[in-house]
Amino acid sequence: MLEFTCLIPFITGIITIFLPIRIGRGILVLTALVHFILTVMAWLGNAKPALPQYFSTSPEGLLVLLVTSFIFLFISIYAVSYLSETEITSEPIYIGCTLFFLASMSMAALADHLIVQWIAIEATTLMSAPLIFLHRSKSALEATWKYVLICSVGIALALLGCFFVVLAMEIGHVQGAITFTALNKAATQLNPLWLKTGFIFLVIGYGTKMGLAPMHTWLPDAHSEAPSPASALLSGALLNCAFLGVYRSHQLLFQAGLGEFSGNILIGFGLLSMLVSAVFIYNQTDYKRMLAYSSIENMGIIAFGVGVGGLATYGAVLHLIHHSLIKSSLFLSSGNILLGYGSKLIAKTGNMAKVFPKTFVAFFAGFVGISGFPPFGIFVSELLIIMGTFQQGRSISITIFILALVLIFAGASRLVMKMSFGKWDDEILLDETMARVLPSYALLLTSIILCIWLPDSLYQKILSAIATVGGSING
Amino acid sequence: MIPSADILLSLTLLSVLLALTSHRLILLIYTLAFQGIAVSLIPLFHEHNQAMTMGSILMLQVMIVIKGILIPGLMLSAVRKIKIPREIDPLVGYHASLFIGLIIIVVSAFIADRIQGSLPGKHSVLIIITAITTLASGLFLLMSRGKAITQVIGYLMMENGIYLFGTALAKQTHAQHIVEFGVLLDLLVGIMVMGILLNNINNTFDDVDTVHLGQLKH
Repeated sequence: MLEFTCLIPFITGIITIFLPIRIGRGILVLTALVHFILTVMAWLGNAKPALPQYFSTSPEGLLVLLVTSFIFLFISIYAVSYLSETEITSEPIYIGCTLFFLASMSMAALADHLIVQWIAIEATTLMSAPLIFLHRSKSALEATWKYVLICSVGIALALLGCFFVVLAMEIGHVQGAITFTALNKAATQLNPLWLKTGFIFLVIGYGTKMGLAPMHTWLPDAHSEAPSPASALLSGALLNCAFLGVYRSHQLLFQAGLGEFSGNILIGFGLLSMLVSAVFIYNQTDYKRMLAYSSIENMGIIAFGVGVGGLATYGAVLHLIHHSLIKSSLFLSSGNILLGYGSKLIAKTGNMAKVFPKTFVAFFAGFVGISGFPPFGIFVSELLIIMGTFQQGRSISITIFILALVLIFAGASRLVMKMSFGKWDDEILLDETMARVLPSYALLLTSIILCIWLPDSLYQKILSAIATVGGSING
Repeated sequence: MIPSADILLSLTLLSVLLALTSHRLILLIYTLAFQGIAVSLIPLFHEHNQAMTMGSILMLQVMIVIKGILIPGLMLSAVRKIKIPREIDPLVGYHASLFIGLIIIVVSAFIADRIQGSLPGKHSVLIIITAITTLASGLFLLMSRGKAITQVIGYLMMENGIYLFGTALAKQTHAQHIVEFGVLLDLLVGIMVMGILLNNINNTFDDVDTVHLGQLKH
């Protein structure tokens, strides 16, 4: 049964809240493992939805689910070690909420019904808010408040978008369930005006959650205030789930023959996000905020690639996978850095290559990866997006795209160099351990492997996911 | 459509303007409670169908209780318990807010006039005007008031607007129950208010604790 993928984390989440910390940590890793097995079963087609009117296994949903489940497994291993090093007053709540968060993200990935997806994305906000507020400081409170309020406004607008899509159905006299499967089939009968209006609201709503500029303002605060395993989850998994909402809406418009309209909107938001992050990353003083702005940039790249269509869409989906792997690895390394130096300020770190050699390797390799150098997958995905955009003849967009990439690399590399090789001669607070380094290595290694060898089933899944928005490998 | 729906809609519009100009937090909460009740009653008069099912009547009652009693009550208790200053400190002045509210009404009238032709069935223009105005003014209130509680109030108003929109667009047969999911937004509001309540209490506890620790040390 497909729904077990959402139900099991939910049930274990409730259980862990009432259990002692040690058992709770064990259950966290165990649930992550079980979830991964269930995901693989769903991937292989062995799990059928019990409620087919609400859930389905769409290829794009399965892709996001697999990525989420995979990085969750490594993050939970890291979290066990991280939690034992930090003093947290309410650890059972943290573990419980992490599992609830996993449940709601799985639900968002598997949802087929318009409203079920909306509920799932709303639930992700509620479940992740306690994770951000974990340290209970004044700044954490502010970040949580901003997160909940801004994302709630977004989610309210997304509901309005759902209303408009249903209105488009009614005007077009389309009967049946409001599932994406049914809507895609009847897409051409839907009223185009209200479908377009609905899309705009859905993109603004889910785009807020995804971190598209100018609705991104919650993202840097939330990512920098959350404890590092939670930041890794937010950046590597949550943003993808929100993106799925945008992707499915775009799919609907493409099927209705309005792909150019929605594609152009996505390109606009994508480029704006990249430019905004290029501006803000330059003089960043906090390394977790730097990573957060990089997430905004990468979400912009994905939106851009999907909007362009053709080969670029293939690149965008690859980018989604590799960004999740590399960025969550970077956030995990940043957790080690925070524990070691005791500060999130770049000025208070330095000489990482000497002091924390293992973390340095993970952090620096992650930075090389996220900047788009081989042998990491983002090199391939960005190259494909650029090639795909050239094929479409969008020369102005691609100029802005490349310019933003260069600016972001220039801005971030200065900061990373300072952290890695800058002067620093102070006491370190806490040494790195293998348990907190190996998950980062594993995630980076996966990105390298996927860059060299893409399993055939993954390749086929990506192709069938992008075929519905006009993406293909042949341009 | 029965004229009483128009009366309710006009009252909603008035409550929006009142909310934009009110100086006092308590008054603002009462205004919102009134608006919540008015907004939840509108489907009763608006639905051009005579056959209201048991389900939709129950839903109506739930809406009135949540929007009119539960959430405002929760807000009042938050204001009383944690002693939020009763003055609202606006980032945009009251007169300017009122002026912006009036501009929003004019713009919504313009938009409503434009989109009315493309809607199925017979609709009163007023309900669309009210929906857009409530939504936009709520968003404006959310951005232009500094306190956490007033931001929640702005959000609540915005949500009332969305609910109205849903009512205006809902199919006569009500085959698709999606407007009702707006209740989940109320859940968000409730959680936000709870957040305000709990965290302020927690903070004062923390302060007290650290003071005690300091005193014991010396």
